[in-house]
Amino acid sequence: MDYKMNASIIMLTAIFFPILLGAVLLLAPEFHSRNRLLAVTGAGLVITGILAGCALGTEGTEFLLLSLGERLQIYFRLDDLGRIFAAIVTIVWILAGFYAFEYMKHEREEKRYFGFYLMVFGVLLALDFAGNIVTYYLFYELMTLLSMPLVLHSKTKEAIMGGMKYLFYSLCGAYMVLLGVYFLNKYADTLNFTAGGTLNMELAAGNEKTLLVIVFFMILGFGVKAGMFPMHAWLPTAHPVAPAPASAVLSGLIVKAGVLGVIRTVYFLFGESFIRGTWVQTAWLTLTLVTIFMGSMLAYREKIMKKRLAYSTVSQVSYILFGLALLEPSAMTGALLHVVFHAFVKVTLFLAAGAIIYKTGKTNVDDMTGIGKEMPVTIWCYTFASLALIGIPPASGFISKWHLAVGALQSGAGIFTWLGPVILLISALLTAGYLLPVTVKGFLPGADYDYENLRKKEPSLWMLVSLIIFAALSILLGVFPNPLTEYIRAIVSTVL
Amino acid sequence: MVSYLVYGLVFLPMAGAFLSYALGRKHKKCRDYFVGGVAVLEFGLAAVLLCQRIAGGVIGGEFGLPGVCGMGLSFTVDGFRAVYACIAAFMWMGTSLFSIEYFAHYRNRNRYYLFQLITLGATEAIFLSADLYTTFVFFETMSFASYVWVAQDERDESLRAAATYLAVAVIGGLVMLMGLFLLYHQAGTLEIDKLYEACRGKDVYAAALCMLFGFGAKAGVFPLHIWLPKAHPVAPAPASALLSGILTKTGIFGVLVISCRILLHDALWGTFILALGVLTMAAGAVLALFSIDFKRTLACSSVSQIGFILVGIGMQGLLGEENVLAVRGSFLHMVNHSLFKLVLFMIAGVIYMNLHRLDLNEIRGFGRKKPLLAFLYLTGALGIGGMPLFSGYISKTLLHESIVEYTEGLSEGLITPVIFSSGGMKAIEWAFLISGGLTVAYMTKLFVAVFVERNNDAALQEKYDAQKRYMSPLSSAVLLAGGLLFPLMGIFPGMTMDGLADLGQGFMGLAGAGGRISYFSFGNLKGGLTSIAIGAALYLLVGRGWMLRRAVSGEEGAECAAEDQGKRRADVFSGILKWEDGCVYLDRWPKLLDLEEYLYRPLLLTILPAVCGCVCGILDKVTNVLAKFLIRAGTAAAGFLDTLTDALVVLLRKTVYRDHTKMGELKEGNWLTYILGSAANTACGIMNRIFRKNHPKETNYKHKLALGYWGLRETIYMITRSLSYGLILFSIGLCATLIYLLVGAVK
Repeated sequence: MDYKMNASIIMLTAIFFPILLGAVLLLAPEFHSRNRLLAVTGAGLVITGILAGCALGTEGTEFLLLSLGERLQIYFRLDDLGRIFAAIVTIVWILAGFYAFEYMKHEREEKRYFGFYLMVFGVLLALDFAGNIVTYYLFYELMTLLSMPLVLHSKTKEAIMGGMKYLFYSLCGAYMVLLGVYFLNKYADTLNFTAGGTLNMELAAGNEKTLLVIVFFMILGFGVKAGMFPMHAWLPTAHPVAPAPASAVLSGLIVKAGVLGVIRTVYFLFGESFIRGTWVQTAWLTLTLVTIFMGSMLAYREKIMKKRLAYSTVSQVSYILFGLALLEPSAMTGALLHVVFHAFVKVTLFLAAGAIIYKTGKTNVDDMTGIGKEMPVTIWCYTFASLALIGIPPASGFISKWHLAVGALQSGAGIFTWLGPVILLISALLTAGYLLPVTVKGFLPGADYDYENLRKKEPSLWMLVSLIIFAALSILLGVFPNPLTEYIRAIVSTVL
Repeated sequence: MVSYLVYGLVFLPMAGAFLSYALGRKHKKCRDYFVGGVAVLEFGLAAVLLCQRIAGGVIGGEFGLPGVCGMGLSFTVDGFRAVYACIAAFMWMGTSLFSIEYFAHYRNRNRYYLFQLITLGATEAIFLSADLYTTFVFFETMSFASYVWVAQDERDESLRAAATYLAVAVIGGLVMLMGLFLLYHQAGTLEIDKLYEACRGKDVYAAALCMLFGFGAKAGVFPLHIWLPKAHPVAPAPASALLSGILTKTGIFGVLVISCRILLHDALWGTFILALGVLTMAAGAVLALFSIDFKRTLACSSVSQIGFILVGIGMQGLLGEENVLAVRGSFLHMVNHSLFKLVLFMIAGVIYMNLHRLDLNEIRGFGRKKPLLAFLYLTGALGIGGMPLFSGYISKTLLHESIVEYTEGLSEGLITPVIFSSGGMKAIEWAFLISGGLTVAYMTKLFVAVFVERNNDAALQEKYDAQKRYMSPLSSAVLLAGGLLFPLMGIFPGMTMDGLADLGQGFMGLAGAGGRISYFSFGNLKGGLTSIAIGAALYLLVGRGWMLRRAVSGEEGAECAAEDQGKRRADVFSGILKWEDGCVYLDRWPKLLDLEEYLYRPLLLTILPAVCGCVCGILDKVTNVLAKFLIRAGTAAAGFLDTLTDALVVLLRKTVYRDHTKMGELKEGNWLTYILGSAANTACGIMNRIFRKNHPKETNYKHKLALGYWGLRETIYMITRSLSYGLILFSIGLCATLIYLLVGAVK
């Protein structure tokens, strides 16, 4: 077989192996020992990771899996944008999986969790490798359905309600997207993702107004997953009820599926020139800025740690959307950088919150006085990630925000040129306000702290290693961002 | 070679920080000396750098680490930077060596040393940075690392002050970042040396203001000075020395970059800085005079001295090309202030280390019979007060002369006024002299309180007097090394201070050496002596007259003073003249003037979050509520459609196919029983309420009457029926009888 065929097979295996393995795990009878379950899951994660890594290393891989008609194709293709997303997914999924080996000890029905966990891994890879909007939509729905069991894992009333809310919001968004797919089918040359857009301007002539509404619907629809106002409300409900590693990947990766969808829609289907300067861009920018401010403000006022982090995600993902909405190279570079940085940072924060819950059962930030003395490594990781999220140099968030702000100033998007950076900075201030108190109270519990009864409660290595790697990535990517920045610039230059 | 020196200066302490942390977990004593060693080594490197700069003229150019942190870090060395790198290293060396004794009984020392060394590296990097990006990266590192110093004690007030410090640092940093965004957007570069060319002819005031906010917050410029008087008294003394002496100077460094590299010789900008400077100078000095805490006085004094420096920077802008006096004056005052505060805060440290108190009433008399301490304090105090033959005199004279020069230029019409006319400048000159006087007054206040007066508690005073060993030889040596500099520099200004000024002035856009000035001519002495005279008067009036009150007993002093309103006038004189015991210093500063407590904290922590939170809360709920509303509305609509046919049937049934009933027909009884019954019911109800509260009568008269009516009707009916039956029978009988009679008659 030739090289191309081999590469396609590797890519397909990377997608379907974890899905099948997860399905088998779900159907198989209960394991006798926990270790056997972990061994199977671990092997599955690692093998998928290796396969995905190999697939990412190939060039120009594409594969037409199924053709239900001339335009209705299940078609995969690897491009640079998908590579970045797939790389983050692989790293985060494997490490968060290892973290869960320890964390899930205190939850029941681990087999179900790991089964769905593996399946979503495959689905996310498929999303990143998807070559057209039909495939994307298919796996997008699949992702929603398969990740719901992760949300309502604990089966408490809140968890089930959270899961339902997640489902309803996601489906609502998906239908908005579906509406767009019908129109695209009529007005676009092809449904395959093509840098610069595939909209047929001759066909579209005269229908621009309708199509603009349709783009806006698609942005809103994918924006549901990305937590964009006004469809963000599922995030703060669903995140806190899910087990910590699940909320970590929800917040770090699954919301990014919405972002990828927006990028594919705007830059690879409609083309940025179609919406530049229209009311869609203005409305989109306004919504993102409202979300950024609102998310930070609500996080600042929230006392439950995981809920606070969920609101923080609402705000931070809209940084990304803001950068995309500006339709400016530097801003888009910043947005894509923020995709990467936010994934690592938010995973660190959720895993740290999970470690605190796992070891002490504390969920309210006001109860966490002296936590840094009990779990120094965990809180150090938390602190580094916090600094990165606030955007304190040299940590990573600073780099992406720099690009975003510079891009905003250069974009010439009217009032948003200066309003954008101002909101970004106010939000950064609020970010400091909601993240740092945990560190401060954790490490500086006050002079009357009872040092005699101090017990170290550091979690085991399974959890710590993941935490440390993610925290280190949050910092190091900020100190040495240039290879990544160059790679992203190359992507951006193809679409803008 | 130079690049390695610079990297050494920046990264050696950072590496040392982590090493010291690791070492400290094993061996505390070793760690203390290791940190001292790193600081000494650092000073050595900085000294080598400075010597090279002096010997080799211009060295360096830019070099850096491209790609790190995105835009790359770049450094450069010039006279100003070399001098300040050296001063920073000197101060760290002094405080580190002093810390060994000061921190001997502290908890969490490892943490302190870790952050102390990280801050050292960051501070060096700020002073050596060649572009504002590098400056900003290390500025933030420095701000966050030094936060830990302020919070070191972990007492409630330390944590509160530290929170203020952090808030100012974060807000300042972010606003500065906004300034950098704007500047980068307009100029296209952040390299300090290229900024002037790049910004020429562009409106960069917005960027400059944002950056000024950030740098000014760190420097302690009014009204962002709030963190200084709070943070210094609670921070450990070596940390206070560094915060006040060198960290504020990083802010001034930034202000200089704006004023000398972006808006060089811009008169409007100069006026603005001058106004800020005058406010800061006066506000700080007044606060310092009214303070009764040793370190708080020094902290407020720092605010005031920063104001002096800003006045100099403002004058640079106003004087334009002819600003040699202002340039040299502001640079020398920076250097002086750094060194003064090093010594003075370490003296505060000595006091605190022995007594764990800083309140003037409690530490009063501690310095009696301690000649070394008194000597050291005097060098610093006379220096900062601007006494001739001490270094402070030189810099203050230069600053004063620059104002005089500008005023003369205005009055002679050589310079066109920008905002301040020559009258305004005269007022500023007097503000300058009075602030100088205030400096003398508050330093005298501290001196008299600690070194001259006796403590109110005689037993305590005896204990103080008996204490001979109050600091280790190492600490004494460090303090002496600092303290001796001031007279040395003051007596030989030509050799020392002019040399320094020659090195530093290039940074501020001044080429060529300035002419030698005879500092001790009468004209120059006059300004300094005026200040000192004002100071003496102010001290006697305010420091003694107003703040010092006779106490009946220690605690009741405050109340007593408040009651004795009538005796006030008499007290003023007794206070001035009374040099004996039995009086206490009172905090006369109105609490309501605390900007932080009554403006910033409520605004930022309560009002804004409440308002914005409310709005955001509504936004947050809007979708949910809307969704719920839509579901309800949808259910209703679907229900409506679902029952549409049924509804039609019902409608028809109610209208066309209605059951035939007469309008107004009663269910039972007739109208008479209905009315009577209703009346009876009402009457019964009223009776129930009034008389039969406990056993209400539940009879329904309407029903009863109707039943009665039915009975009646039934009976009548029955009777009618039976009567008519009887009648029929009777009629039939009658008929039969009639027929019988007829038949009989016929027969």
